[in-house]
Amino acid sequence: MEPVRYDDRQEIVSLPLQPAAAKKRRNWKKHLYAALLLLPLLLFIIGFFVVPMLYILYLSFIETKGEAGAIYSIGNYVRFFTDPYYLHSLWLTIKVSLYTVIVSLLLGYPVALTMAKCSPRVRGLLTLLVASPLLISIVVRNFGWYLLLLPNGTVHQLLESLGITQSPPKLLFSETGVVIGLSNAYLPFMILSIATSLYNIDPSLEKAAAILGAGPFRSFVSITLPLSLPGIVSGIVLVFSMSMSAYVTPALMGGANVPMLPVVAYDQIINLLRWTYGSAVSYVLLGITLVIVTVFTRMMERGRYREVFR
Amino acid sequence: MKVLGKLRAAIAFLSLVYILIPLLVTIPASFTSASYPSFPPHGFSLQWYSKLLERPEFVEAFWNSVQFAFLAAFFSVLLGTLGAIAIAKYDIPGKSYLVSLLTSPLTVPQLVLGIALLVYFTPLLLAGTPTGLLIAHIVICVPYVVRFVLTGLSGFDYTLERAAAILGASPLTVFRRVTLPLIRPAILSGALFSFLTSFDNVTVSLFMISPGMRTLPLEIFSNMQDAYSPIVASVSSVVIIISVVLILLLEKIHGIGRLLGSSH
Repeated sequence: MEPVRYDDRQEIVSLPLQPAAAKKRRNWKKHLYAALLLLPLLLFIIGFFVVPMLYILYLSFIETKGEAGAIYSIGNYVRFFTDPYYLHSLWLTIKVSLYTVIVSLLLGYPVALTMAKCSPRVRGLLTLLVASPLLISIVVRNFGWYLLLLPNGTVHQLLESLGITQSPPKLLFSETGVVIGLSNAYLPFMILSIATSLYNIDPSLEKAAAILGAGPFRSFVSITLPLSLPGIVSGIVLVFSMSMSAYVTPALMGGANVPMLPVVAYDQIINLLRWTYGSAVSYVLLGITLVIVTVFTRMMERGRYREVFR
Repeated sequence: MKVLGKLRAAIAFLSLVYILIPLLVTIPASFTSASYPSFPPHGFSLQWYSKLLERPEFVEAFWNSVQFAFLAAFFSVLLGTLGAIAIAKYDIPGKSYLVSLLTSPLTVPQLVLGIALLVYFTPLLLAGTPTGLLIAHIVICVPYVVRFVLTGLSGFDYTLERAAAILGASPLTVFRRVTLPLIRPAILSGALFSFLTSFDNVTVSLFMISPGMRTLPLEIFSNMQDAYSPIVASVSSVVIIISVVLILLLEKIHGIGRLLGSSH
């Protein structure tokens, strides 16, 4: 988003007659206004966001805080990467997040395509239906899945009556349950970001392809899909990073059976009161997510369809 | 090739059902007459709504949520609008960095933010206090207000302000009569969006609460972990109804799609 620049020097009315001193005074006054308007917000964000984030970064490098004072080391990080329990939890988090991304992409793309092809009125309605669940509390949405996925609940009975499964699969309190909960929660982000890139495709391209003899499938594969890659990539990045750090859904839909990293971090902080270690786990989570997302984005931007990212 | 189009439409329809189904099953389930939650519900009764009113912790949590959401929206709009006006109007060096800094709480997972604020608030004696919870909610709401108001001001014609000033209006009058009406939709949607964000929040709030002070989503969260009771369905239905009303209001003022498009 490019903020509008307001060029103050073009004071049309008073410019010719304005003495230099008066102009300087006015400028000084302008700076004062700007500072008065901006400072409360700036101090608030620095004081209650930047400083706390730096504070836990600092804490993550403290190993023990005894009588002798703090001992600074990378011990917390070493402990994380040498303990099989935490490594398994990290792997589980990455795996579940990947499944969530795949499910959201497969379910989301057709919706985005429909939104791009329909009339503006239907598009508005679809956008409202897709986006509004984002503004309804995640616990409420998870409770809906409880009703559906409970043992002998709706989904189990449906699967049984269709003869798909004899013994009901464990849906709630399993990885499947977490993937269902997370993909349900983040699907709208995938849809909206793919839709945005589909809206930007010049419709004359598809017409040109049709005139040159390409069928709908061919024109989808060689025009629509590549041109929507930026939206797909940003959707994947959004859904992946949000799944990596989601706490509520893994806690409710997975419980103790699916100890994903956020659940482990919460446990360290709230139940075990290991603040320095919990802080380190937070930064591991941030760091790993950032590395995966950056590598993925770079790969896509330098891949076969690099032109579409410019 | 019509088959492909039909397949796309079918998957799109199923996806929409998938997105909406947890909300669609909850309201019918709240009218069950059984003692356990289920969908489809067994029979029909309003007992879980009357039981809801007999549970003081839910009623209290509801009022807590409303108060925090109201205050969080108020302060977010106040801080965010003034800051956004300063950024849009005045020549401030490093503007784009400043915007990134002010909206950076959106880029950090709420879990990490919750941990950071709890650890930071404890020595400041703010942990577990209403002030701490309110500050945490403002941190996650104010970036949205900054974005909405900046977007609202992006097409703003500042000659209107100057024209008003030349005609003798005081700076306050200029703001009240010229600037404010033009960015009112952005401010209103910022307020509604903040209210909903605060009203719905679980993750950050989990780190900020104390036993005597809970919000409604947290009450639902802990009830879901402890016991299956249809009372959760009736609380959830109340939350859904309130949210839907506010969402429709937001849609009318600004359009949900445009808001989320500008915020992600």
